[in-house]
Amino acid sequence: MTTFEDLREEASGVAARLSRRLSRFFGRIAGSLPRPRLSRPHFGSPGQALLFAAFAVVLGAIAHIVSILAMPALAERNAYARLSELMESNALTLLPDPSPHEQVLPMMDPAFVSAVCLYDLSEAPLKVRVPATADYTSVSFFTAEGLAFYALSDQAAGKVIELDLMTASQKAALPEDEEITAADRLVIESPSLEGIVAVRAFVRERGTRAIVRRQIEAATCAPSN
Amino acid sequence: MRLLPLAFTLLVATILGLGVTWFSVTHSRGLDVVHAGAWLGWPRAGTVKADPYARAAFARSGELPLELADGLLFLATTDDTGAPLDGRCETRIVGVLPQARLWTLTLMDQDGHLIANDAGRSGFTSAEVVYRDDGAIDVRLSPRARAGNWLPTGARPRLKVALRLYDAPFSFASGAADAAVLPRITREACL
Repeated sequence: MTTFEDLREEASGVAARLSRRLSRFFGRIAGSLPRPRLSRPHFGSPGQALLFAAFAVVLGAIAHIVSILAMPALAERNAYARLSELMESNALTLLPDPSPHEQVLPMMDPAFVSAVCLYDLSEAPLKVRVPATADYTSVSFFTAEGLAFYALSDQAAGKVIELDLMTASQKAALPEDEEITAADRLVIESPSLEGIVAVRAFVRERGTRAIVRRQIEAATCAPSN
Repeated sequence: MRLLPLAFTLLVATILGLGVTWFSVTHSRGLDVVHAGAWLGWPRAGTVKADPYARAAFARSGELPLELADGLLFLATTDDTGAPLDGRCETRIVGVLPQARLWTLTLMDQDGHLIANDAGRSGFTSAEVVYRDDGAIDVRLSPRARAGNWLPTGARPRLKVALRLYDAPFSFASGAADAAVLPRITREACL
């Protein structure tokens, strides 16, 4: 229940700030405009005003919950949208190193070399192959809405990280005999048709950044047929 | 006439609801906060169990969360006493880090941008930092050059520090309130 109380506290703080700002704003424009003929809404008795207040809080809570739940689907500048301006689907693209002036995505770790691949499984499953660098290398998967659903590091995978990414129906359609060999290749089920594969490698010493970048350039991400 | 109060109520409700939404996506990264001194962590934000607030915040910011199987992110915007990190002051981050394959410490301004400096240094990693004899780190955030592990703050009024533990064997996902002990953040002196 603490969350609800936190939210209520937040709500009252925001409301107070908003009303202060609004009244200042309206005060400023009131001088230049003819005074509107609308009087303040008349709520009648205190009991009625309380009813309206309760009504406003309940409706406000509904508006808040709906907007939070809809945000991932409606956000226009999420990671997938930002990256799709820069690259094509189903190909691995090395990202520029984060710098004070340029950051493709916010909050990227500057100690890592990153590459991303936007995938679209509607045609065929995706094959991801990442040769492990001398240091920490990881592959992580996100849906187009930015939900992290799988990650694997070189320690768990060995010298080369090889993964097949497919939808549930593509996985079900895998031929029986391939199922046997599927033991040595990693099949990952994607909850969405579109998403992001992020490949990241740690740069232990600054001087080796160019070498790590070249190693990550050798990674591939392509439709498997 | 009941129409005006009704319209007014609807307006207030919408402003209230969307205002809280705006506040929560800009100020929070999810509900499952783990506190460790001044550090805040959101272990579930990088899993499929991410709560709606975490999902909404990441969708708005465009950040790709650090996956829990990959590593764990802690953010600090205050020192241990709760005072905001000020780039015009000297701040020290001292302590032993939890066991992890590697860690990185990154200094950013309030908005999460790296701070430009002549040294080209925006953080330390477990491979670069100079350790004390007892295995602890001692990182100094200061606007002026300092000996040892110095991170230039560019005299920004507000700072944000990210600590990322990669391949850490411990798990916060169980919701344990007692997070591992992370380095202490103390303010030394202000200019």
